Amino acid sequence: MKQFAILTKKETLQFIRELKIVWLPLAFIFLGITQPVVTYYLPYILEAFGGGQGIIIDSSMKDIAGNEILASTLESQFDQLGVIIIVISMMGVVQSDKANGMLGFILTRPVKVESYISSKIFSNYMFVAGSVALGYVVSYIYTNFLFTSIPFTSLIVALLFYLLWVLFVVSFTTMVSTFFNSQGVIALISIAVLLGIRMIVGLNPLLDRLNPASMSEYAKEALVFADIDMSVVWSVLITLLLSAIVMNFAKMWIANKKYNID
Amino acid sequence: MIHLLNISNLKKSYSEKQVLKGVNLNVKKGEILGFVGANGAGKTTTLNIITGMLDYESGVVEINGLNQTAGLDYKKQYFFIPDTVNVFKNVSGLDWIHFLMNLYEIEENNKLEEYVQVFQMQESIDKPIGTYSYGMLHKMSLIAAFTINPPIIIMDEPLNGLDPNAVVVFKDLIKSYVDQGGTVIFSTHLLDIAEKICTTVAILKGGKIILHDEIKNITGSKSLESIFMEA
Repeated sequence: MKQFAILTKKETLQFIRELKIVWLPLAFIFLGITQPVVTYYLPYILEAFGGGQGIIIDSSMKDIAGNEILASTLESQFDQLGVIIIVISMMGVVQSDKANGMLGFILTRPVKVESYISSKIFSNYMFVAGSVALGYVVSYIYTNFLFTSIPFTSLIVALLFYLLWVLFVVSFTTMVSTFFNSQGVIALISIAVLLGIRMIVGLNPLLDRLNPASMSEYAKEALVFADIDMSVVWSVLITLLLSAIVMNFAKMWIANKKYNID
Repeated sequence: MIHLLNISNLKKSYSEKQVLKGVNLNVKKGEILGFVGANGAGKTTTLNIITGMLDYESGVVEINGLNQTAGLDYKKQYFFIPDTVNVFKNVSGLDWIHFLMNLYEIEENNKLEEYVQVFQMQESIDKPIGTYSYGMLHKMSLIAAFTINPPIIIMDEPLNGLDPNAVVVFKDLIKSYVDQGGTVIFSTHLLDIAEKICTTVAILKGGKIILHDEIKNITGSKSLESIFMEA
């Protein structure tokens, strides 16, 4: 436990020194603001740039409910650009330690592989989840201001569902970063798989149960319908289980010394 | 006699090539062992196996009677200094040493300050590691190793990049560390320096230890260099 705390502190220090602690929250704040602001001001913007000739603007755009705007922040901004930003910020999480010999150096100290991997995932998750939550809250504030208010319970329930999806994104990217040695390959595989499983949500109810990306869909439903079927408990458990499995794969890979020149 | 480090019949292959063909090596407490061999002889492989970075096919590797299944207790028996030290460039040397001391659960002590002075790192220890030369990185690792003071210090080519003054300091410190009950193993290809520092030498050739004895018994009228060439 002590090693875990020391390594987590080291990771946090690294975030500060690399200024990740500044740019990642800013990126999510920007994504959070974009949806409500663009939706609200788009008719004005188009009008200012020549009246939007040939473009039909839905006059009811400004009448969209706040909860729908926040749901589309999750779906259009966080699930696409957001996931890409998380993956890019994390693609070197283990790979760079392998490349510069740091992984070997750390693991020849009195450190368990479990402490190493869990400190990586914990520190990155807390940081990414914090950034996502910040962007989400900023989006909520703008949505409340420009559109209609959103019930607080829906807001919190949706955020909790979404952060479960983020947990899987962080765990999966860490695992891929453990397996591969090229940051390009890590980014490509992580983005393709994560966006892929997000795209297939809704195609098959059984598959949805097993798909961690369904958490994002439940978050959207919590905002739009304010009502969630209790059967999602199973999906939540499966998402937690899958996150634990991918973390374990990463741990086993390192414990079997697959990171090395062997 | 109980050996601090015991390696018996150690075998290791990379794909089809067998690099270690049954290495036997015992190191007693208080020894300074120079691990000598040509490039590709398997020195680094042996050291990486001792430190748990590499798996091996068969054999026994024990430090203080513990093998790698002892987990953290085994890892606390040694401090390993690899040949390349690529640590965080934007962290200061002092922060890095404190980080390592925490991992080994070593309390803050005045030894650190003492070794910083001995290695003449007072002006640079607070500066980011990215500004350090190769030799300074090695000095920083040595300061960490001596401050942590484990039963055995294992070093891969520690003399590379050290200036003549640092080599003298290194030699004196290694001797004083051993006088206080420590044990050192290091690989090197600088035979003349190894001859001056080591109490024992092991020559690795063809995947086996072909010569392992106290330096005074080996050299006599010949230099270590000529013995190595004849081996």
